[in-house]
Amino acid sequence: MEVLKEKVEEEEEAEREEAAERGEKMMRPLETRREEPPMTQEMLRDLEKKLSEIEIIIPEQPLIVTKDSVDISKLPLSYRSNTLKEEHLLQVADNFARQYSHLCPDRVPLFLHPLNECQVPKFVSTTIRPTLMPYPELYNWDSCAQFVSDFLTMVPLPDPLQPPSHLYSSTTVLKQQKGNCFDFSTLLCSMLIGAGYDAYCVNGYGSQDLCQMDLTRDVCPLTMKHKEVVQEEEKVPPKKYAIKPPRDLSSRFEQEQNMKKQQEIKGEKEKQRKEEEQRLLELEKAKIDPLHGLRVHAWVLVLSGKREVPESFFIDPLTARSYSTQDDHFLGIESLWNHKNYWVNMQDCWNGCKDLVFDLGDPVRWEYLLLGTDKAQLAVAEEEEDGMNDDEDMENLGKEDEDKSFDMPPSWVEQIEISPEAFETRCPNGKKVIQYKRAKLEKWAPYLNSDGLVCRLTTYEDLECTETLEIKEWYQHREDMLELKHINKNTGLNVDYFKPGHPQALRVHSYKSMQPEMDRVMEFYETARVDGLIKREETPKTMTEYYQGRSDFLSYRHVDFGDRVKKLALNSAESNPRPMVKITERFSRNPTKPADEDVAERVFLILEERIQLRYHCRDDHITASKREFLRRTEVDSKGNKIIMTPDMCISFEVEPMEHTKKLLYQYEAMMKLKNEEKLSRHQAWESELEVLEILKLREEEEAAHALTISIYDTKRNEKSKEYREAMERVMHEEHLRQVEAQLDYLAPFLAQLPPGEKLTRWQAARVKDECLSDFKQRLIDKANLIQARFEKETQELQKKQQWYQENQVTLTPEDEDWYLSYCSQAMFRIRILEQRLNRHKELAPLKYLALEEKLHKDPRLVDFLKVFV
Amino acid sequence: MQRLYDSMEPRVMDEDMLKLAVGEQGPQEEAGQLARQEGILFKDVVSLRLDFQNILRIDNLWQFENLRKLQLDNNIIEKIEGLEHLVHLVWLDLSFNNIEAIEGLDTLVNLEDLSLFNNRIAKIDSLDALVKLQVLSLGNNQIGNIMNIIYLRRFKDLRSLSLSGNPIAESEDYKMFICAYLPDLVYLDFRRIDDHMKELAESKHQYSIDELKHRENLIQARLDDELAQQMELEKHKAAFVEHLNGSFLFDSMYTEDVEGNKLAYLPGVGELPLTYKDKFVIICLNIFEYGLKQQEKRKLELDTFNECIKEAIQENQEQGKHRIAKFEEKHLLSLNAIREELDLTNIEVRIVEYSEDITELFNVLMTLEMQLVEQLEETINMFERNIMDLVALFLENVQSLYPFLDDPPMAQCRDLENHHHEKLLEISINTLEKILKGELDEDLPEDVRALFVDKDTIVNAVGASHDIHLLKIDNREDELVTRTNSWCTHLVDTIHKDEIMRNRRRVKEINQYIDHIQNELDNLECGDVID
Repeated sequence: MEVLKEKVEEEEEAEREEAAERGEKMMRPLETRREEPPMTQEMLRDLEKKLSEIEIIIPEQPLIVTKDSVDISKLPLSYRSNTLKEEHLLQVADNFARQYSHLCPDRVPLFLHPLNECQVPKFVSTTIRPTLMPYPELYNWDSCAQFVSDFLTMVPLPDPLQPPSHLYSSTTVLKQQKGNCFDFSTLLCSMLIGAGYDAYCVNGYGSQDLCQMDLTRDVCPLTMKHKEVVQEEEKVPPKKYAIKPPRDLSSRFEQEQNMKKQQEIKGEKEKQRKEEEQRLLELEKAKIDPLHGLRVHAWVLVLSGKREVPESFFIDPLTARSYSTQDDHFLGIESLWNHKNYWVNMQDCWNGCKDLVFDLGDPVRWEYLLLGTDKAQLAVAEEEEDGMNDDEDMENLGKEDEDKSFDMPPSWVEQIEISPEAFETRCPNGKKVIQYKRAKLEKWAPYLNSDGLVCRLTTYEDLECTETLEIKEWYQHREDMLELKHINKNTGLNVDYFKPGHPQALRVHSYKSMQPEMDRVMEFYETARVDGLIKREETPKTMTEYYQGRSDFLSYRHVDFGDRVKKLALNSAESNPRPMVKITERFSRNPTKPADEDVAERVFLILEERIQLRYHCRDDHITASKREFLRRTEVDSKGNKIIMTPDMCISFEVEPMEHTKKLLYQYEAMMKLKNEEKLSRHQAWESELEVLEILKLREEEEAAHALTISIYDTKRNEKSKEYREAMERVMHEEHLRQVEAQLDYLAPFLAQLPPGEKLTRWQAARVKDECLSDFKQRLIDKANLIQARFEKETQELQKKQQWYQENQVTLTPEDEDWYLSYCSQAMFRIRILEQRLNRHKELAPLKYLALEEKLHKDPRLVDFLKVFV
Repeated sequence: MQRLYDSMEPRVMDEDMLKLAVGEQGPQEEAGQLARQEGILFKDVVSLRLDFQNILRIDNLWQFENLRKLQLDNNIIEKIEGLEHLVHLVWLDLSFNNIEAIEGLDTLVNLEDLSLFNNRIAKIDSLDALVKLQVLSLGNNQIGNIMNIIYLRRFKDLRSLSLSGNPIAESEDYKMFICAYLPDLVYLDFRRIDDHMKELAESKHQYSIDELKHRENLIQARLDDELAQQMELEKHKAAFVEHLNGSFLFDSMYTEDVEGNKLAYLPGVGELPLTYKDKFVIICLNIFEYGLKQQEKRKLELDTFNECIKEAIQENQEQGKHRIAKFEEKHLLSLNAIREELDLTNIEVRIVEYSEDITELFNVLMTLEMQLVEQLEETINMFERNIMDLVALFLENVQSLYPFLDDPPMAQCRDLENHHHEKLLEISINTLEKILKGELDEDLPEDVRALFVDKDTIVNAVGASHDIHLLKIDNREDELVTRTNSWCTHLVDTIHKDEIMRNRRRVKEINQYIDHIQNELDNLECGDVID
């Protein structure tokens, strides 16, 4: 830095003298001159001449982008002109550019002061307008970048090998909703700095994909699966009295052989897999870009330190993706700037950005434009140099303060504002499509689609995106709480995910078809259901339900259905439920009952009339009691009904008890089970009905797809809008009435009387009479006025009619048309006037009476007029 | 009182009467047929009604072990008796009898509803055991003292009380008094107490109730204290060092020691017993603390051991369960297959296959069990060794057979005693000499002076005192040693016994299960043969 600075000082004098001659190459020689103390008339004239020469050149550079109608006249003054300070800055920048090109002749010119939308050169740092957005969503860098990339449409640079000649203000860019990468970066940088990040705009070189916003070689972030964090189980140190494992009697040699074999197989597979991967990679690899390393791009650098950013990283504003500073896509950096300063990269970029050090205080690596900004601090350990350099530094500082302390002028850009509507709509026209590798992502603004669709991700099998693999659709504000719809094209499986609040407490519904009695799984929010159902799985022949938290400890019910009995004769519309063959129910342990009496599983074999019970296992046992009832009603040899015989109940008891052997006990148990079987069948039947009901409901919901509107959403909520408008109307009417009420009829008449004196009766009567007569006069005037207009209209109409009849033959069809339309309008006017006159005639006496009444009640006159009434 | 059955003879509860009642009140219809076929055992009966039977004396009810509800109303019972065995009783109706005192209810801890309506009871008491009491009916009795109500305060669950028809119910304040003293009561004389009434009653009797409450609280606090002390002592006992955290041992040394107490009056003895006591107590405290520490160690050891054993058994059980579950799956299939198989030879093949499966299951389960037994045995032996070592170490350190600590405590005690003895002896002899020389200025009590007749007497006296002290120390030591040892052996014994029991149970269970399966198969075979 020192070297350069010395040179700067040396050359400065000489250069200033040469400035006039060099003026042609610069954009603003006039301003430069103005600050030169010796300024003669000739020089000025000279300059003016030159200026005029230059002025002609500018319109000669037609710009494609500027052609888009930017209404310059409406832009504020700061857009259209430069302040003194800005002029000074531009001068300094030019100076810097000159020195730079002198010192590094082989590098491309710096991107310092492009033109803005008003064709005024503006320094890039002043184009950054740090703004903190009023939306909490925009407080973090990722959401900020996502917003910028969603909100703007990318326009490629006019020349991919050069930075643009124009850099618009962020306000204009936001209005147009489109821009190039420099516009994107500037806007994002403004927002990030406003949010407290240490962010910089970077001008450099990027890969083709990056510059053209081509994501087709990138995997969509939504399709990436989260890596499962395998939590390593803490190994408990073996306890003192842990038992020793039984001796292993298997052959170690055999084990080793087995291991070897398996490893071989595994190795083979691994190799195959790798080869396959290699092949795929090559297939996917892009063609070599002939302009590799030359494509100009702009992006944002966020340095570590502020806002708890642990490590510096890049953000590509076009795609809103963050990259490490070592990423392959970034091929070099020319310069970078924020709202305070401008740095030129002095490091070699032969290896992309991988070797760059982002220590902006290091003058060897980063050449700065302005001194005295707070960033100019070298991050080398300071203790060593402190003692040595103290004095020198002090001197330097003093010197610099005198001649060079110049800080960045405030931004010329207006406050960046995003309206809530625009913020919600996000993408231009509310829709955005991004093509990824084997995936397509479509985004919509909420409420744009009538079915609440906000995002759709289509995944493809091949790179050309022809074979659809699966579709994921995200919804918002659905009345049926549908959140995500996942359609797998390969298996034909549809999975719907719901947020809490569905009328049937549905959570997940996966199905292949909406027909009942097909394969489907429904999961529920079990806390929202009275019966504690978690999941119901269905196949054509079975139905399985899982429960949780029930007072009867039921946790599982499985129903097997048989074939439908065909009813040929009865062809009624009544449902013909499938016959149940088997019902299996499982219960969790009821801690209040002993294990031997707590049923763990019961199976109703309905066709065989058999009931099987399995009880819970006792804590210290490995076998559980079982019982099987045969429910056959038989008749013995004498024709008596056999109620219960010992062979109707086969039981195995872990600990045989006396009372359970009794027939009475078994009989009672069986009777109870019979009842419960009925109940279970009924419940299974009800479950079937519920499935039908849910399917019907789902179909209805799909057809209606109503959207909910938050009561706080004042714009969309029709009801609240109506209410608000009604309120406003009422307020307005109220106001009018008040104004009318305050209107004083008597004021002009009272004003004629001498002020401050009390009214006499005579005066009061006169005031009243005058007021009334005046009002009468006014009513008559009004009637006359209406009458006069009416007559005028009629006369005119008559005239026209005359004219028409006279000239009827010579009229063109247009004239005739005109005449006819005039006639109908005139007739309309006449009719209205007639109506008004009639109405006035009707109302006038009433009004007159009303006023008289009012005057009688007027507090100022009431005392005097009472007597007359 | 006019009674319907007055004309009938007083009856005794005999077998016939009970059987009749049980039969009448038992299951009806189809179930009744079955019940009659099999007969009902008295101990299966849950509810029994014996009203209007003119019963004079309750008897022969001991068989009804599981009775929950018993109605003995409208009889002429005079004394509550013979209900001791009905511990599961929840509902007892003794209304309309001639009972004069509440008694014989001390074992009925589960009783919730007690009716003694229309009797001749004059005093409410002997209900202490009925902690779950919710409904108490004492109407139409002769309770005259309203203070009897305070007795009912101890029943925290009491919600309904009826006392109408008693002399106390005639007093004006009756309702107020009961509401105030029994604030948790909801129904009085089968009528709901309204909140307004409650408030009124409360404000009226506030002072006396506060006093009562205060007294009750004091009693409760004292009980709690005692309980806590008891617990503490239990803990110390478990560590075998009870009463060593103070001067208890030292005091006990002197209580039986007549001579020692006398000798304390000797001139020059003065401070000696005091310093001796201090030192002694410090040693005792050392032992005490050491004992508690050791107890902690032993407990930790035992806990880890138990935990490990439990885990091992649990795992083994899981394996066993898994095996059985797997077998049962297969078993169901094969049973069905056998049933449906038509070809006789095939059936036989399948049956053979199946019995092989059963044998295999048996073998597997048994192997698992044997394995566990071996593993547990090893672990138990290890634990036994460790706990023995621990106990031995504890005893050694306390007894100081080996100088593990710098100054082993019990031996220290003895040393201290010896030292004290010598000093005492010296002082005594000196005193004796002085007395003999007549140089003693101070007055000694008469009985003390009597000791100083000659040297032998005084030496004997001092010696006796010394012996008593030593004996006490020895006794305490012996007690500690024997109790510790017996605890240790007992612990080890129980562990071994438990393990054996567990093994037996498991083997029995496996056998039973295998038998059951085998039986099922045999039945199937028989059936096939018959078919």
